[in-house]
Amino acid sequence: MSNVLRPYLAAVRSTLTAALTLEDFSSQIVERHNKPEVEVGGSKEVLLNPLTISRNENERVLIEPSINSIRLSIKIKQADEIERILCHKFTRFMMQRAESFIVLRRKPVKGYDISFLITNHHTDSMLKHKIVDFIIQFMEEVDKEISEMKLSLNARARVVAESYLSAFNS
Amino acid sequence: MILLESNNYIIQTTLAEKLTKPSSLDVQFVDFDDVRFHLSTPERKTQLVLSMSIRCWDELVRYGVHSILQREYGSMVKAQPEPEYNVSLELDLEQFPADPEARESLIQSISLLKRNVLAAPFETAFTTQKELAAAGSGQGELLALHYRDEEAIYVQASFDRVTVIFSTMFREETDRIFGKVFLQEFVDARRLPTIQSAPQVLYTTNTPPLELSHIPDLVQTEDVGYVTFILFPRHFEKQPIAESTISHIQSFRDYLHYHIKCSKAYMHSRMRHRVSEFQKVLNRAKTEVATGERKTVSGRSLVR
Repeated sequence: MSNVLRPYLAAVRSTLTAALTLEDFSSQIVERHNKPEVEVGGSKEVLLNPLTISRNENERVLIEPSINSIRLSIKIKQADEIERILCHKFTRFMMQRAESFIVLRRKPVKGYDISFLITNHHTDSMLKHKIVDFIIQFMEEVDKEISEMKLSLNARARVVAESYLSAFNS
Repeated sequence: MILLESNNYIIQTTLAEKLTKPSSLDVQFVDFDDVRFHLSTPERKTQLVLSMSIRCWDELVRYGVHSILQREYGSMVKAQPEPEYNVSLELDLEQFPADPEARESLIQSISLLKRNVLAAPFETAFTTQKELAAAGSGQGELLALHYRDEEAIYVQASFDRVTVIFSTMFREETDRIFGKVFLQEFVDARRLPTIQSAPQVLYTTNTPPLELSHIPDLVQTEDVGYVTFILFPRHFEKQPIAESTISHIQSFRDYLHYHIKCSKAYMHSRMRHRVSEFQKVLNRAKTEVATGERKTVSGRSLVR
């Protein structure tokens, strides 16, 4: 892990840990409803201040806490067209499997590439620090994976072009 | 298997099989670029008819496909092709040579039907180039071959070279970007000392190359690109080299798209692997669920 990445992830980790103090909270508006307040947004008093942690203009994390749920959105680095398409493919691939990733949201928040929604039910059934570990590990590896995929695409393209053109020699 | 073969595997295996064990047959199959084949035994088991339909037949006829067919297949070519098809070959299995090697080469040449038919504009261009080279200047006619709905090959002879231009069209965003990466590598690869003698490759998007600038109804959008190969006389002076150059350059589009698909498949398997790794990390967060039968105080099973 590079030295620039470390403080960024450390900031996300501590903010997320601090924000993950969730409790059961029934809707104040509709009787017998118990929905993630950050998604419903009906009662302003249970929403906390959203927070953005930016590494640079292309990479940032938005954390929106509320009384019974927290929404975390990640903007992944996309330097060029290839990284953009690979990132899009990868996040789409994950979000299609959102039900097995319990805390993953099916659609990202506008302006971000992928979003997680952690509710009090998740913190009840899962270990809080391990959820934070998962998010941090995801952030670490997604960049690495995208750049590796890009390298392998370039390497393949080179081999393909060379073997096609060298066949003209024979 | 990095390079694709230019013969049709189905024709090759079916013929080899029917030679040892003739039986009645009626199969239809396809090849790259919307080419359809029909292999049947209309009259008796030892007489096969192989028909092919290809999109750009009218253009090919203009570029002298009939003389190539005569040269390659001689009397096998049926005067009247099957309805709905462009060309038919009549193969009498009893007339096939008994010598295994000669038989093998005949099967090979029949399975190259599509390649031989598509060779017409290239061969025309190569002969034109030789005439122009003798004259010392001038340019041949631009031979267009609309081999797919949206894509075409243009071949033009000049006194010192033959230019082959492929128009490429990618339907999907991902294909377009991957294609760009691949085509850029084709342009760059020639800098390597080992492949200096390969044809020069140029790649442009949006604007068609100068050779095509006079064609009125070219599609000009973001998705369309043009790949230009410049073949020098060393690529087609000698007959065997010319043959392999034609086979090779014909398969360019199939080759490019094949490898784009392969990289997409590879990306997919990588993502699958990575996602399952993430899944494992998340599963570690789950607390152990108490398993086994739970009992009440009185010793009965607890059922919720």
